[in-house]
Amino acid sequence: MTPVQQALFILLIPLASAAIIALFLRRKGAIATAVSVTAAAALAGLSLGLIFGGDRFTASMEWLRFGSFSISLGFKFDDLAALMLFVVSFVGFFIHLFSTGYMHDDKARARYFGGLSIFMFSMLGIVFADNLFMMFIFWELVGFSSYLLINHYHEKQSAADASKKAFITNRVGDFGFLLGIILCYATYGTVNLTELSAIGDAGGLVYSRLIPLLLFCGAVGKSAQMPLHVWLPDAMEGPTPVSALIHAATMVAAGIYMLCRIEVLMVAEALNIIMWIGTITALYAALCAIVQSDIKKVLAYSTLSQLGYMVAAFGLGSMAVNHGGHEMVIAAGVGAAMFHLTTHAFFKALLFLGSGSVIHGCHHEQDIFKMGGLAKKMPITFITFTLGVFAIIGFPGLAGFFSKDAILLLAFQNNTAVFGILAFSAVLTAFYMIRMWKIVFFGSARSEHAAHAHEGGFSMTIPLIVLAVLAVIGGYTGIYGKLAGGIAQLIPHSDAAHTTILITSLVVMILGAGAAWLFYKPSDMDTLEQKSTGLFNGLSALKESFDVIYGYYVAKVQQRFAMLLNFFEQIFLAGLIIRGFSGFVGLLGLGARALHTGSLHAYVYWFLLGVVLLWALITGMF
Amino acid sequence: MLDSLFYFLACFSVIFAVGAVTSRNAVNAAMCFLLCLVGVSGIFALLEAYLLAVLLVLVYAGAVVALFLFIIMLLDMKRVSSWHFKGVSGLATVIGAGLLISGVVGIATRGKLESLPLADVPASGASLKAYGEALFTTYLLPLQVVGFLLLIAMLGVIVLSKKFTAEEVQ
Amino acid sequence: MITVGLNTCILLSVVLFAIGFFGVLLRKNTLVIYISLELMLVAAMLLLVAFSRYNGTLDGNIFVFFILTVAAAEVAVGLAIIVALFRQRVTIEVDQLNALKN
Repeated sequence: MTPVQQALFILLIPLASAAIIALFLRRKGAIATAVSVTAAAALAGLSLGLIFGGDRFTASMEWLRFGSFSISLGFKFDDLAALMLFVVSFVGFFIHLFSTGYMHDDKARARYFGGLSIFMFSMLGIVFADNLFMMFIFWELVGFSSYLLINHYHEKQSAADASKKAFITNRVGDFGFLLGIILCYATYGTVNLTELSAIGDAGGLVYSRLIPLLLFCGAVGKSAQMPLHVWLPDAMEGPTPVSALIHAATMVAAGIYMLCRIEVLMVAEALNIIMWIGTITALYAALCAIVQSDIKKVLAYSTLSQLGYMVAAFGLGSMAVNHGGHEMVIAAGVGAAMFHLTTHAFFKALLFLGSGSVIHGCHHEQDIFKMGGLAKKMPITFITFTLGVFAIIGFPGLAGFFSKDAILLLAFQNNTAVFGILAFSAVLTAFYMIRMWKIVFFGSARSEHAAHAHEGGFSMTIPLIVLAVLAVIGGYTGIYGKLAGGIAQLIPHSDAAHTTILITSLVVMILGAGAAWLFYKPSDMDTLEQKSTGLFNGLSALKESFDVIYGYYVAKVQQRFAMLLNFFEQIFLAGLIIRGFSGFVGLLGLGARALHTGSLHAYVYWFLLGVVLLWALITGMF
Repeated sequence: MLDSLFYFLACFSVIFAVGAVTSRNAVNAAMCFLLCLVGVSGIFALLEAYLLAVLLVLVYAGAVVALFLFIIMLLDMKRVSSWHFKGVSGLATVIGAGLLISGVVGIATRGKLESLPLADVPASGASLKAYGEALFTTYLLPLQVVGFLLLIAMLGVIVLSKKFTAEEVQ
Repeated sequence: MITVGLNTCILLSVVLFAIGFFGVLLRKNTLVIYISLELMLVAAMLLLVAFSRYNGTLDGNIFVFFILTVAAAEVAVGLAIIVALFRQRVTIEVDQLNALKN
């Protein structure tokens, strides 16, 4: 089949799976699982064929037309899309596989797998989108799928609140995104990405700071940058495979992907702002992660921090590179961000799935201070989780090392202040990851459940092993280069600064890891809390502050405004206009009713009146 | 001489029409109507529409008025109240009367349609043959439709006059 | 051959029509109303024949033929309805037949 057909199948198979589950298989969990996993396997297979088949194409079809304005749907399958497709389909398939074991005892399995399928459809729509309107449509769909899946345990009030919060925060970002799209359309007359690139190459771009910043708002919402980051930690209310798929590997990465897509519209000031927002997010999240006691929350803040890295990398922009003897400027920001996105998808999904295995083994216990000593009880999980932890802290030789190095190199070349902050965040990253690793896996079991922990079945261990392998080998040029094609050539590398960066990253890692290993003792309480309560409270308050501010704003400002509008609506809309109109129509009805006297003669008189009027009309008296 | 016959028949018809409308006895009303029809039939004959004159007496005077008399006797009406002249309907009556009378007077005094004297216009309705030809060639469709209408009227009458007993209603 | 003008015939027809119309408006008994209705139809027929004669065409006569037929059918059905109504209501005064009021 032709590549376009393959792409179409890849996009539509999960939609069909979701439709079948929603319509027929609501109560049949086992069959729904089978349908969804088969769909994921099919689309993973087709994706691999499409990516390594070598075809790169664009195809589009007009969908709606209003006069001169038209929305079209299409595929833009270039190297960037191929890379993203690999991440989404491959990681997605393994998470589907993991879910069969993890959600085995859940009664609402069918709803969960339907949600996963619709998510895959929406995410693939974003990957393939060739114009911003289409991307926006699928953007919203992804937000909806996220809402559906976070709300899986809907009996819990906290889950319902979290899903609402996620959706609303996303919506705020999407509002800016939509304004950006409209502004882009108004300025350039097109939102098609290929056409925008063509305009850019021809030098026809208008200098505008507003368009890229508004479009970035979408990324702020979706990729949880400050100030819209508050939804991601709460989104951990959803099942762990959902957290792995959506809030670690793919959906939150959609913001970065979108930024790379619209790279041609970026200007220096916008990139500056983007860079600083990313950096501050990275630092803030790393600080918050130190004091978390829920294993998933630690990983959530870690995701926030790594996303901040990716956004900062993108914001650092382009770099002059000595390429085989002559200097050329490459879009190093895109290269570094996508590299880190890929490796992050691998090891973060691995970490989340590993935590899922741990949670499942400890009978749904999520507090790390109630775990311990799991290294011996769950060996496979332990080994794979360790590989994931080492990857994220930048252990030499693993995937995360290479991608983090690329970002630090770019920062070193372009902006030293950002480099300093990012290096410090790397220290903190190592610190809190090793803290979590030590408390969860070492020492003695601190609760009944931990003492009886056991490994999950094959459906849970195989994805862990595969992802661990990818986390190890994913950074090497042989693997990543083959995967990413042209994007891999955008990764910044420099011979001059190479050694400095190498030394910096090693120092950072050893500092953070060593400090955590020595400081934290496996016990029931957080050692930092014991030793220095002030610092602990300070860091906790850091996390709470945003929620408090938003809560105040919603309760005091927004609610009052809403009540005012409600008052007006009651008086004018409901009262005057709606009841007024209906009252008027009622009066007409009463008048018509009075004509029905039941007397034949009255009717005949009305006839006579009508005839006289007609007669007068005809003879021209009116 | 035929003119005076015309005037005589005209007055005859009008007087008995008034009688039909104002009489207090239903049978009297029907009888007056019958005589009015006879007068009109005479006028038809004077206008040389002989077939129609005969048909009027046969169908109308013969069948329709007879039917009226049957129903009057079936319903056994003895006295029927006369004019009815109260309240709003009285006012409307006066207005309506005014309009009608003004219409009549207007036509009588001012309506002057030009027409040739009768002697110059040949009476096409006098020959039965022409009548038959027109009816069965140009007006064939209305003829068939009217036949169908009569069939339906017949069916309707049969249905309407059935007495529904208790078993049939269930 | 009569020498009466067309206008006289029209006048006669209008007078008959007016009388019939008054009958419909002012009488309360359903059957008398019906008779007045038929009187109006007769007046219309007269008018048609007069026009047909004075124009020298046959179409007016043919139309009268059809009116006659339709009037007969209408009377039949109307009287059947009156009989059925009388069975239900035992009265045929129109001001007491006001079940459709309001």
